[in-house]
Amino acid sequence: MTRKLNRVKVKLVTCMEKTTYTGRRAKGFDVSKLSFNLCDRLLTDLERAKRPVLKATKCALDNSFYNPDVGFLEAGDKKVATELNVSSVKKMSRTVFMLELILRNINVGAINTKRELYYISKGEIKHNKALKPLDFDDQTESDTIIDFIGELLECYREDLNCYANDRGGQTYSQQLVVEETMPSGEKAIIDLSKLGTSPFQPKNRPQNLKLKAKHKIDFCLIVESEGTANTLVNSGFTKRNNCILMGAQGVPSNAVRGWCRLIQTQLKVPLYFFGDLDAYTLQNIFRTLKAGSAASLIRNSDFCAPEVRFLGVLPDDIKKYDLPDYPVREKDVQEGRALKKARDALQNDPFFKDKKNKGLSNILKWLIQNKRRCEQQAYFSVAPDDPWMPEKIVLDKIKRKEFV
Amino acid sequence: MTTDNTITKSSSAEYFSKNLQQVGFSSFTKATLTTVKEAIDNSLDACEDHGVLPDIRVEVDRLGLGTAKGADLIRVRVQDNGPGLTLEDAVKVFGQYLASSKFGRGRCSRGQQGIGISAVTTWSQLTHGTGATVITRTKGMKNAVQCEICVDIKKNVGILKTKQIVDWDQLSGVSCEFIMDARVQLNGDGGIITYLQGTALVNPHLNLRYKLLDAEEVFIERVSDTVPLIPERTSPHPHTMKLGEFLAHSHLFGKTNTKKWLKEGFSRISDTVIKELIEKGMPESVFNKTLSSVSEDQLKQIYAGLQDVKLMAPPTKSVMAIGEADLAKCIQRLGEIDFFAVETRKPTICDYKPIQVEVAIARRREKSEDDRDSPVQILRFANRVPLQFDKSACAMTKAVETVNWRPYGLTQPKKSLPQGPYIIAISLVSPFIKFKNASKETVDASDELVEEIRHALQKCGHKLSAHLNREIKEADMERKIQHLEQFAPILVDGLCRITRSNEKRKERAMAGLEKILGKDSREAEKEFIHAQEKSEDATKLMAENMGVSHEELLEQMHGNGENDNERDMPEQLELIVNTGSGK
Repeated sequence: MTRKLNRVKVKLVTCMEKTTYTGRRAKGFDVSKLSFNLCDRLLTDLERAKRPVLKATKCALDNSFYNPDVGFLEAGDKKVATELNVSSVKKMSRTVFMLELILRNINVGAINTKRELYYISKGEIKHNKALKPLDFDDQTESDTIIDFIGELLECYREDLNCYANDRGGQTYSQQLVVEETMPSGEKAIIDLSKLGTSPFQPKNRPQNLKLKAKHKIDFCLIVESEGTANTLVNSGFTKRNNCILMGAQGVPSNAVRGWCRLIQTQLKVPLYFFGDLDAYTLQNIFRTLKAGSAASLIRNSDFCAPEVRFLGVLPDDIKKYDLPDYPVREKDVQEGRALKKARDALQNDPFFKDKKNKGLSNILKWLIQNKRRCEQQAYFSVAPDDPWMPEKIVLDKIKRKEFV
Repeated sequence: MTTDNTITKSSSAEYFSKNLQQVGFSSFTKATLTTVKEAIDNSLDACEDHGVLPDIRVEVDRLGLGTAKGADLIRVRVQDNGPGLTLEDAVKVFGQYLASSKFGRGRCSRGQQGIGISAVTTWSQLTHGTGATVITRTKGMKNAVQCEICVDIKKNVGILKTKQIVDWDQLSGVSCEFIMDARVQLNGDGGIITYLQGTALVNPHLNLRYKLLDAEEVFIERVSDTVPLIPERTSPHPHTMKLGEFLAHSHLFGKTNTKKWLKEGFSRISDTVIKELIEKGMPESVFNKTLSSVSEDQLKQIYAGLQDVKLMAPPTKSVMAIGEADLAKCIQRLGEIDFFAVETRKPTICDYKPIQVEVAIARRREKSEDDRDSPVQILRFANRVPLQFDKSACAMTKAVETVNWRPYGLTQPKKSLPQGPYIIAISLVSPFIKFKNASKETVDASDELVEEIRHALQKCGHKLSAHLNREIKEADMERKIQHLEQFAPILVDGLCRITRSNEKRKERAMAGLEKILGKDSREAEKEFIHAQEKSEDATKLMAENMGVSHEELLEQMHGNGENDNERDMPEQLELIVNTGSGK
């Protein structure tokens, strides 16, 4: 590895703009320094023939606590301790190896996906036979090590210059202006009203963005289906309303979660989520958007929008708008599992257990009891000859405060 | 009514000739196997009855195409060195159904009813037109006689078709030959080789030669020079009899005193039991009468009374086990085995019938990748006869499936057979094995029997686990040593690069790391030594039970010592121990 490190002489660039973080992260966060300290501690322990212990925050539901004051899942005190012994020496060696690759990336200003890091590690091992025992059989193994490093240093994967692809969050608005600080320090201004029919794609680093409204923005609508978001835009939703319209594309990616957080913090507009009425949407999509997830406890403070409200489809809407719904077949493996998870969530998920989210847990109970589901596209069945009907329903619901 | 509705009577030969599928002739491949099996069963029973160490030779040839579509013309010849049959007996044995010397005598024998070999003659007759060609010689006969015997299907009697004196180099014995429409399957569950190897496994005193089709002749030498002791007969236990059987039993004793009949004709009926029957209202006078003067109603009353009385379980003297020592020797005959465990249970009573269970588990030395995911091979035996069909419904299979093998170190999918390169042989011996069908392929799975087999399997599994655990610990130790060699320099190098540490610090850290991991390796070594001791204890106990020395048993298990139990500590381990404690 030193072979490559010595060869590349690039000016050190700190990619993360730490000061722009919106959440509760401490300023002056430095991965290189933290890594140095960690490795120094390990080395000192080894010199004393003392078993070094790596302690990482436990990112699991049993270490998740919902704080109603801040509105997202926070990590408890539980740590996963890895003590050095013959069984863990492989994991520790892999961790130090991957950390070295990451530090090199940070030093040279390179940014990679997890898959790219997997291939970089394969390449290092290919060229250095002494590293062969570290070889990863598949990407899952290297991903686990990258996540472990994040948990050890209590940092975001973006802090490690490891980015996920920018998925979801395509945004349309006639009022929104985004100011992006480039890695070089230059600033780019993006006026969304001037993008024609193209959307604005938020990045995995929404903390580098600053938002402004040309005119007052009334609300932000996050639509579960990207297709439905496009349909609404095509029928003129953003032209007729002072709003931000976004397609979530299923389970919200880090980019979407951070982007929504940014809108909430910087623009202080109400956010509404428009999605399916089923257990999966409520638990996996909406809960992650609103309060983060157990797997990402470390980053929830910056990557969720606690103010977002569930606009529908609500159980009452089925009757009110005579929406076509259909039964949940418990025998179907996927649907059965979703129902089981929903029952489990009511008992164990601190988000649904908190009285602040009683309205949402009531929907979950309704879904379990009635075993029915209804998709957001069902609104299009209300008046097929009126292309504005779904928009009218959405606006009517906002006006009547029919959301949870 | 027309004459078509007249009720006619048919002979048992007629019945079986029309229902040969019930006695092992349901397909052409099964026909060859059944023929070999019936002939060998008879030979082994005859040899054991007369205290002769059996020498059996089996030949199977393909003579050409059979008469039926899809069948070959197969010749099966089985020859033994037993006491031989007189001509008169040979005609009965090969040509008459239900002519048996073993029927209802309450002893462990392979054959019971005298159906099997007559059915083979019938099959030859029906498919090829010839009966059994038999050469027989008893010690009393000057010369051997060769004859052809057929079944008179209408009358159920044997017909002696031809007879001639022949020269035979054996002083006594029987050779029987059948030519029939059949097919030959050598391997697999229903294969002849599987049957022959199974027979060799549970008959340590057998010398077996076989030549199948064009293959070379195979000789499996006996591993025991002792003819199994023929166990005592057991009188029937009243609780295992039906009323009809009870009445029929009384007819055999005619003028015997009823009390004497009950005490001697049955097991576990004593004076106390008779006293109890009297107390329950049976007139005492009935017991003093002769059986012929007791009315059927009174016999029915006695029967009913006996069903209500609590009786001791029948004795277990009648069962004939193989024994751990011989089973251990036999298992070597299955091929390359690198480990085995045997367990012979004490005779016990299941469903009011004496029974003894023996189990052997062996691991094949040759292991392929497929073996790991394939179910173990199960060999089932009832009274030393391999059972090869319908295994899923059998008590023995059920017992194997319901044992949890995981704690013993075997992988096992839920409610299934365990997996791996293992052979599990289960042998049941009892004078009253309850089969599910006439062709005796499946043992009825009563709860009590399944539980008894499970106990034997668990004990055997326990012995197996001592050995497997040693292997696991050994592998664990080697893995740990390997880890130390592989990862220690990588870890320390990486840490030093990140912290930009100098060589001295690196050396100190390396020494510290070796100390830490060396300690782990020594722990692993301790665990390995402990597992090795346990494994040795298990093999010592097994050797003691088998009556051989520990060294002999290890030699049996590991052959030339390639996988010796007491092999030296791996070189790397010594390195670790020295590194760990020395610095």
